Order: sequence, then structure tokens, then C-alpha cells
Amino acid sequence: MSELIQLGSHNERPMPPKADELNLRFSEQAIKELEGLKTHYPNLKACILPGLWIAQREYGGFLDGDAIAEVAHRLSRSYAEVQGVATFYSMYNTVHNPGKHKIEVCTCLSCHFNSAYRIRDYVSKKLGIKNGETTADGMFMLEEVECLNACDRAPVVQVGDRYFGPVDEKSIDALLEELRASEESTVVKMADQIVQVQLKAEERVGTIR
Amino acid sequence: MAAATDIQTVNIIVNGIELAVPKGELVVEAVKRLGLEIPIFCYHPRLKPVGMCRMCLVETGMKNPQDGTIRMMPKPAAACTLPVSEGLVINTESDALKKDRKGVLEFLLINHPLDCPICDRGGECPLQNNTLFYGPATSRFIEQKRHNVKAYPLSDYVTLDLERCIQCARCIRFTEEISGDSQLAFRFRGNKTHPITFNETKFTSKFSGNVIEICPVGALTNRKYRFRARPWDLQTSEAVCLNCSNGCNIWFDHRAGKVVRINARTNEAINEEWTCDKGKFGHDYYNDEKRLETPFARTGDELQKADYATVYAKLLEAFHGDNTGMILGDSLSNETYITAQNFFTGQLGSHNIDYRFSANQAKGASTVDNSIASLELAKTTLVFGTHLADDLPIVFLRVRKGWFNQGTQVILATDRSDEVSEFAAHTLVYKPGTEATIAKAFAGQVSVADAAAKCGISEPELQAAITAAAGATVITTTSLNHEAAEVLKALDGNFNAYPTGANERGAQLALACDGLSALEQLKKAANGELSALWVVGVDLFSVGLPREEVIRALENVDFLAVQDSRRTETFYYASVALPMTLPAEQDGSYTNCEGTTQQMKAIIPPVGQAKPAWRVFEELSIRVNPRMPFSQASEILASAPAFA
Repeated sequence: MSELIQLGSHNERPMPPKADELNLRFSEQAIKELEGLKTHYPNLKACILPGLWIAQREYGGFLDGDAIAEVAHRLSRSYAEVQGVATFYSMYNTVHNPGKHKIEVCTCLSCHFNSAYRIRDYVSKKLGIKNGETTADGMFMLEEVECLNACDRAPVVQVGDRYFGPVDEKSIDALLEELRASEESTVVKMADQIVQVQLKAEERVGTIR
Repeated sequence: MAAATDIQTVNIIVNGIELAVPKGELVVEAVKRLGLEIPIFCYHPRLKPVGMCRMCLVETGMKNPQDGTIRMMPKPAAACTLPVSEGLVINTESDALKKDRKGVLEFLLINHPLDCPICDRGGECPLQNNTLFYGPATSRFIEQKRHNVKAYPLSDYVTLDLERCIQCARCIRFTEEISGDSQLAFRFRGNKTHPITFNETKFTSKFSGNVIEICPVGALTNRKYRFRARPWDLQTSEAVCLNCSNGCNIWFDHRAGKVVRINARTNEAINEEWTCDKGKFGHDYYNDEKRLETPFARTGDELQKADYATVYAKLLEAFHGDNTGMILGDSLSNETYITAQNFFTGQLGSHNIDYRFSANQAKGASTVDNSIASLELAKTTLVFGTHLADDLPIVFLRVRKGWFNQGTQVILATDRSDEVSEFAAHTLVYKPGTEATIAKAFAGQVSVADAAAKCGISEPELQAAITAAAGATVITTTSLNHEAAEVLKALDGNFNAYPTGANERGAQLALACDGLSALEQLKKAANGELSALWVVGVDLFSVGLPREEVIRALENVDFLAVQDSRRTETFYYASVALPMTLPAEQDGSYTNCEGTTQQMKAIIPPVGQAKPAWRVFEELSIRVNPRMPFSQASEILASAPAFA
């Protein structure tokens, strides 16, 4: 799904999925967590955001149509509404599959002065991807982002929930090596941590990653 | 109005004029009491205000209750989200506001393609009108405009043009608040915001046509009307939709004698300003290629064109006595039913005249305690054995409005879950054929445990629904199982068995139906015992009867007269056939499901030699028994006491 509509056939639009056509993938842990989160809010509409974080974790970091439909189904909201919410916020990955690690390069003022574009181009060349693209092996995604609020460390790069900066070519090399070696997806890890933060202590089911 | 005294009012000053308006009314509505109008895009009187477009800016201030001095606020406020309060001062016209409105419009027009000459909305577009009255004459914007998808087919009926969209959210709010399917939402944000369905799937709402009408620009257009005409080329006439029994008021837009499009016409008592897709897009039969244009008479194996005199002679020869039958459709005018009854029973002497094809319908007539408008005030509603959004779309909108606005508790009992179950407090899905048992459970005639087991519903669910349904307003249709209907009728609350045929109610009032029923007539015809059968305005192959039975009946009847607007399948079995006008081609009156009789004038000329069915009956009638015939539809209606 791109940010603009892909023009399909003029006559045949797929029908929205019915409840029994959905391919539900939430794990038991996720279902329990969602049940807990539902109790935090006066209505289910308010639970869409945390529900999407669970989905982002369960679906490997990418909120595709199936993930959004599952959240909508579990919260009894309409598909379109949940997709509208998910696409509004940039931290939900609804447009591009982020792969295992999402490298977010800050390009705002302070970082820009400190050669953020040089860093961006270096990463881009090294990984062979442009802004908003994912490597063929599904390992890295590169994204230019607005101010990360860490001007003291400019130029700064965010991967998952960690900030790295000031970065240069050497530290980028080291960072990419480290990420490549790690088993875990930083995208999924971050989603999990956000879910855990929102849960009360007695509602936490899984181990914190 | 006695209730008006209970309304709390507040004193406000609009453009220097003091007036009292109901407390809490929005400023945009309050100024209408002075005949003033504030330009709007996103505000819609039937939707909740959102304040998205900022077009309705007004200057506000407060009057000091002690010394009466007025202090104005430094900045303008959106009139659509501001409720009136005591001492509120509003200015709707000032130089500053002119500038503000110009600025807002300039922003709205930045990414608007201004392709009015090729836009379907051009000529009736609020954006065009507001720009003319309030906007800048020229654009200062020389940069590249945002480009986006054009002519995107959202569904079979609706085309989306994203470049024209001004993000007012009217369509989105309609699907959330009125139709309830919530199939549209804004996706992305900022410059990329656009309304669209989930994953670009089909917009399957049964009320999708309304978003076309409430769109204040040409972003949502009618796929069937696209590029067929410009609004100023159309002739527009008041009409009534006869595709179902709700009797929605519509604007019938026609050009050169052909229907081009249907728009909703406001009638607060019936459809407010909505239509369903079946009505809005379902008037193609007017322009059908298979319209019957001349009388036909059979010579040997062939149906050949004939004149009225020949056909009349044959008809009068074939029809006399009680061994003949007449079957009428359920969407004909009241005048047709009245004259058919007078002619067929009074002149030809046969009582076998009927309009019903289901056994349940034949046993119980429709009973209506509630008008459509009063349904939104019901405390508890039991929707029984009907799929409201399909059978009675406008009743569905009223029931949903009641739930949405004042929390009507809705209980649904039906054979599959449907649109009503989305908001129903209790949904009982029973096995088909167990209507009577579950109705008896509601009346306490069968134990809950037995009924639950028989109907395939869990016992606590059924018990909860029965408890909740005490004193409920029952909504069902005339095709409900007769036994179930009788049981529900005896319950405490109001009982409404609405007819589903467009003028079934009129037929019920006008026709005595004291001879053979339609089904009995067909059975007799199949056995070769009926000498002549007259079929008016109905295709026997499309009423849900087994095909073989219909064929057997039509083949074995000695003489078959077919009177219809189209060459239906029944037509090809006819001995003689007469062309009939459609509702918009004749004067006539129609009685909707709640019992309101609505008049309709002839709008477009009849096709070929087609005549209104009542005129044919009158012309035949004076051949049998010379007298002064009725010459106008209104005389016929006035002559019938049932419609007084």
C-alpha cells in the first residue's frame, strides 16, 4: 500500500473482508494483553492505539491490511477507522515493511548542520536503499525523520528505542554490524516495550524483551 | 406546539438584532432564524459538527449583564461548533470576516484542480457558489498543485476524485453517524489526507448514494450520471420513489423525456434527506430497451402488434363471470387498484382479484401503529424476522437514528445477522422456520428453555432479550409467518407489520380480495380450470414462485392478458398485451408503508401508446356499461372512501 491509492481495475474492487474471512494471528499472550488494555479505557475506540502496538509486535513490525483488520475485529471498530488511525501516526509502519531494523536518520536543523545528509547518503549507498526502502534481505529500512529531540548528539540516528550519536561513517559501520549480528528485530522489540509500558504490572504476561 | 414552552431560551444579539433562541443551539443554525446564512462546507445539519473547513467564521463577543457593554473577542470563531449562550454577540458581516473567508477559500482552493468545466458538480457546487460570493477572484498560487487519483471507482455507484476533495469529512461522518457502516475514513495526514475505504476495498454501503449528494465539491460523483448531463440542462420534478414501500420523496431529474438521475427530496416525516441505493440508482427501468410500446395480440404462435380496439374486443370476449382471475403487482397506483376492483368485480362479475404471492401475506393484512418518524422516539424496539436495511431502508435509518441519538434499545430476532445487529443490544439468530416458536417465547406462551433449544439460541441470551423486550415497539413486515405475527401483535407494545411492496398498502385498502387468491388462481390455471387470467404490472417469474408452476399456469390458462410496462417473461405467454405507463409518466397516488398517501404528477411523456392502467379499466368499463368515465386520477381517488 503506498501513500496514494493504487489504481486497480475500474470495475472490480475487492470486497471488505467479512469477520469469518479474517486470518487472525494474535498469540494467546497478545489476546490477554489486549483484554487487559481494554479495561483501561472508557470505550473500545480509545483502545485502538495500544491495540495497534500489539499488532505491530505480533505481525513482525509491519501493519498490513490483515493486521489492521484483526485489530478492528478484536476491538469491534470499523476497518477503515482503524486504518485511518494507524496511517495518521508515523511510528506505526503502515506504508513500508520496515524489515528487522528501522534506521531513522534525523534531518532537522541541528543534525542537518552536522552533516545528517552525508550520513544518510552513506547509509543509503552502503545498504543500496533510498529513503523509505527496505533491503532485499529484509534486514534494514532507511527513513529520514523529523527532529528526534537530541540536538546535543547531532547527527543522531534512532534504531528501535535507542539513539546513536553523534554518528560518523565509522560508528555507522559498527552499528550496522552490531544490528546484523543481533538475532532480535529492534522494530518488534520497540513495539513490545511500548505495549509493556502501557500494561499494569499484574497484566503483563510475557517476559520483557 | 405545547412542547415549545418547555424549551429554555437565551438572548443573543446577531448583527445588532436581539433575539431569543433555544439554549445550546449552534450559532450557524441560530442565525438562520434571521434569514442570514453563514457559508459552510463541513457543517451539515444532520451530522455532528467537526469544525474542519473553517469557512463559517463569525465575530463573537459577550454582553456584560451589569452595564450592557459589549466586548468583542479579538479573533473570529467557527459558527458550526459554537453553541449559543446568554449574552452572546455575533457579527456575520464585517470587513475582517470578508478577508477571513477569502483567506479560508484561498487555502481550500490551493490544491483544488478547478476543473469545473468537466466536473459533474459544476453548476450545483457549494465550493463554486461560496467562491463566487466570498472567495478571491483570482488565484495567487502559481506552484504545482497536489496531484492525486482521479475518477477512482469506489463502488458501482460512486466515483472518487481525490484532487477535488477539500477534506470536510461529511462522507465519513455520514457513514459513521447515519448509515452506520463506517466504511470511509481519512487516511494519512497533512497534505496526504484522503477519505477512502479500508485497503481500497469496495464501498458496499447500502446508502452510498447519499455521500454523493452531501459532498460539497465534486469529489464524490454518481457513476451512473457521470457526464450524462450538466445540472442546468436537467428538468427537475417532484416525485416519489416506488422501489420499496417507504415512499421516499425524490427529485426526478430528466432530460429529453429520459430519467437521468434521482436525488433525495427532503421530507422530515419520511426520508429526511436520505435515499437508499436501491432507490437512487434503481430507476433504469424507465429507459429500458424492453419497454412495451404498443398493444399486442396473439395470432397463432406469434404475438403481433395490434391496436387498442382489437385488444379491448378480445378482452371483453374472454373476461366474464367468476371463472376468470386478475393478479396485480404491488407497486401500481391507488387509482389502478380502485378502478380494477370496480371494473373486474363490479362490471365483469369476478371476485378473483389479488395482489399477494405469499401465504403469510394473504392471511394477515399490514398493521401499523407507528409512523416512520415516530420510530426514532421509541424506547425499545424489537426488529423481528426482517432485514431492515434491505426490506425497509428508510425505517432502518430511523431505527438507527433512535439508537444513535437517544439510545433506543434495539433487539433483533432474525435468521441471519445483518446491519441492525451492528448496534442491537441483543441479537437472536434463529433457525429459519422457527419464527412462531420464538415469537411465542416473547409472549411467554412457550418456556424459554424449549424455545432456545428449538431455535438454536442460547437460553441466557434469549432470556435477556425477552426481559429487555418488554413493551417494545415491534417492527416486522407483512411477509412474516402469520402465526408469529398474531402472537407479536398481542404483546403490550406497538406492533408494526409494514408492507414491503411499493404500494402494497394501497392495494390492501382498495382491493376486496374476497375471491380466489393469486396463488389459488395460478393453481387453478395450471389445472386448466381458469378460463382467463389478467396479469397487471407484475412479472410472475420474479415473485419467488417455482418456475415450473408459473409456466404450467401460464400455458394452461385459455386466455392470458398481460398489462405491463416492459416485455417481461410473462409477456411472451400472453394472448393479448397492453402497454402500461410507469409512475412518472402518469398522475397517480401511492400509499407508503406507514399509510401516507402521496400524489405524483406525470413528469415525462408516456412511451409509445402506453396508457395508465386505470384508464384502460375505465375505457373497458364504459364499453360494458356506458356511463360518464373518470377522466382524471384525482377524481378516482376522491371517489374511494378507503382513501378519504
